[in-house]
Amino acid sequence: MTVLDPPQSTARRWLGHVARHRVAATLGFLVLFPLIVPYEALAANILVLGLYALGFNLLFGYTGLLSFGHAAFLGSGAYGCGIALVHFGVGWFGAILIGTALATLVAAVIGFLAIRTRGIYFAMVTLALSMCVYYAFYQMEPLTGGENGLRGVNLQTIGVFGFQLSFLNPTVKYYVLLAFVGVAIWLFSRLLASPFGAVLEAVRENENRARACGYDVAATKLVAFVISGAFCGLAGALNALHLSIVPIETLHYTTSGQVVMMALLGGMGTFFGPFVGAATFLLLQDVLSVLTQHWQLYVGIVFILFVLFFPRGIWGSLLDRFGPR
Amino acid sequence: MMAFPPELLAMQLVTGLALGAVYVLLAIGLSLIFGMLTVVNFAHGAFFMVGAYMGVFLYGLTGNFLVSLVVVPLAVGGIGLVVERFLVRPLYGRGIDYPLLLTFGLSYVFIEVVRILFGLNGLPFSPPEMLQGAVDIGIGYFPLYRLFLIAATAVVVLALWLFIERTAFGLVIRAGARDPEIVRVLGIDVSKIWLVVFGIGTGIAGLSGVLAAPLQGVAPEMGVPILAEAFVVTVVGGMGSLVGAVIAGLLVGVVVAMTSLFAPEMAKVSIFALMALVLLVRPRGLMGRAGLMG
Amino acid sequence: MTAASDVILATEGVGKNFGGFQALRDVSVEFRRGKLTAIIGPNGAGKSTYFNVLSGAFPPSTGRILFEGRDLSRARPHSFARAGIAKSFQITNVFPELTAQENVRVAIQAVHRRFELFRHRRAFPELYDEADRLLASVGLGDRRLRRARELAHGEQRSLEVAMALACRPKLLLLDEPTAGMSPEETREMMGLIERLAAERTVILVEHKMKLVMGLCQRLIVLHHGELLAEGTPDDIRANDEVRRVYLGQGAH
Repeated sequence: MTVLDPPQSTARRWLGHVARHRVAATLGFLVLFPLIVPYEALAANILVLGLYALGFNLLFGYTGLLSFGHAAFLGSGAYGCGIALVHFGVGWFGAILIGTALATLVAAVIGFLAIRTRGIYFAMVTLALSMCVYYAFYQMEPLTGGENGLRGVNLQTIGVFGFQLSFLNPTVKYYVLLAFVGVAIWLFSRLLASPFGAVLEAVRENENRARACGYDVAATKLVAFVISGAFCGLAGALNALHLSIVPIETLHYTTSGQVVMMALLGGMGTFFGPFVGAATFLLLQDVLSVLTQHWQLYVGIVFILFVLFFPRGIWGSLLDRFGPR
Repeated sequence: MMAFPPELLAMQLVTGLALGAVYVLLAIGLSLIFGMLTVVNFAHGAFFMVGAYMGVFLYGLTGNFLVSLVVVPLAVGGIGLVVERFLVRPLYGRGIDYPLLLTFGLSYVFIEVVRILFGLNGLPFSPPEMLQGAVDIGIGYFPLYRLFLIAATAVVVLALWLFIERTAFGLVIRAGARDPEIVRVLGIDVSKIWLVVFGIGTGIAGLSGVLAAPLQGVAPEMGVPILAEAFVVTVVGGMGSLVGAVIAGLLVGVVVAMTSLFAPEMAKVSIFALMALVLLVRPRGLMGRAGLMG
Repeated sequence: MTAASDVILATEGVGKNFGGFQALRDVSVEFRRGKLTAIIGPNGAGKSTYFNVLSGAFPPSTGRILFEGRDLSRARPHSFARAGIAKSFQITNVFPELTAQENVRVAIQAVHRRFELFRHRRAFPELYDEADRLLASVGLGDRRLRRARELAHGEQRSLEVAMALACRPKLLLLDEPTAGMSPEETREMMGLIERLAAERTVILVEHKMKLVMGLCQRLIVLHHGELLAEGTPDDIRANDEVRRVYLGQGAH
């Protein structure tokens, strides 16, 4: 391939290397990330919500399905983890697994219903069903804390291979979260490179053609939906540990909308896009909310401009301009 | 079941119909826009909210609710025209997700603009004096305003039905909902039709905002839950079907009213259960046509 | 009467109704194994509808489709491909953002049923080899690393044929394979179809009658959604009704 290519610009060659070693590149960047971000809590926010956007991107960017209900998975992951810790005294690692499993289950149910509809219905049905999850958790006050959110998800220290690490130290916390996010990124990359990843792309590119090839498109979408939900559920569980609380807003429509914005801003269907998008969104929010209480106005305008003029997002546009071909 | 006297059930049924009336109007607008443009208007709830605020503002200014009822649909529809012409239109041909994403972003802008103009908190609003009080409807006293709401919805639905079934423009809309190619073959500028339909759909959303304002007051976020509920109605009724929107809207209203009587803690969740049931049994909706979604 | 094993695909009284519009009515045809059959007819004859029924895109409203004796009338579209029916579409239908090689490789993968989630797709080099071989066979060997959307129209049609072949079909369905092609591209495509038909059963839908007369062994003529005539090119040429229908249309 490289033999046939015309001489490449430095930028193109550099991006080519990054694309070939995408897991290493992402992890390398995320390891150094806290050093360049104003404060560690923000870095951890970007890390966890970047994972959320990554999971969402599997569906939106790689399978071509626009879900407006992913808050349900972030939220049930967070509540699952939090409830296991607070009410059942499960250890932190088990709690993360329980949160992820709960989100996977919720994704299977919502996915099963949403896949039955076609095309344009999908966004509407996922939105409606996620609102249903929101109200359900809202009602279960004894377990979820209802309107006030689930409080007391306090993790002082965690034991890793016999070492006691202080989870209160923001730097330690960041790198513990990164360990989980790193494994998820690696799994995600494997998944995209697998034969199954190829089927997802085929479904996104041309559903009818994929069907004519003999692929069960509905089943493929459902599997993608459930896996996407699992990644988002892990992000939710990590977020519960990170914030020490699960606000009810985690399940709200706006949280679903937030990940759509992140994915589009960063560049849907690109590997780095979700983290770029999460960083852009959260930095924008961080800066604007200091200046004005109406920061959502500017976020909305930026988003509209991207939809109209840069639908490939920041990373996608960079790839178009300088990317390896 | 036995614990509730039949009069109470009947009252709750009428309450459900009044609630359903708002859903009917919202779903009709959504459905109309979708049927013609294949655009899911995620800003529909925001148009509804803007209409409600405009209605409250105009009423405060003029003291005449009728002014709100007439001016708001026109004004909100006008905003809809501008949105379609300058924001949505450039996105046709780029796939169904882009108009949806754009209207989603737009709803943020609408909400924040209203917050800037009217403050972060909502405003209380009660029915105009003429429509306050209750009347005896045979089974008991029922709030006059809710009856007005049902009647107003019936008028709008009837007018719209006549417009679509009996006018030349309506004929084009019906043909276009079936197949945009037909309209093009007839030598009609499809983009003009789309523009007008978007204006009508958003205008009706604005009107339903005015009508809903006296029920619970207005707040910048009021469009969010109602958007989800309008989606449920559209899915239950079948996208692109006027009759479906009416039946499903009333059905959803009644389901909400009844569950809030029997199991209040389930009231919010019940309509989603209804939607899930419809998806399982009849994925295209009660009145939806096969093949419309492509 | 032909022996049952001679018939690869049959429709029995197939009809298709679109919300009151009867696009197909009571079409009963037996397609012979190993033959190249063309479905022809004037505009609006129901050719495309019939093709879509045969390929599983629309279920028939009435009647049955039998493939090698198996009833597929209610099967889901992807089951048709799994049963051994491959199709190319009237409108070019590829995976635009994927390379030509990946287009074909994904089609092959469907047959091999390699769905492992965590192995690399490169771990199955035989699929790449097969894709390259198929691309070479349709004359796209040197274009394999181009994205499908960057290929010329005729090349995309050839790519579609390669994708259809990747399913190792027992039956190949082609919907107006030369639509929108230049005369030269059309000639190449007809040559390709002839080569393909030497090894397997092919059914194609064609609007231009002249094009298929010299190529096919059997012809099916549809008119107003009904079967008008069936037979060898000579039979059809001699058929008065067919002549009337085509002449009435202003002779193609």
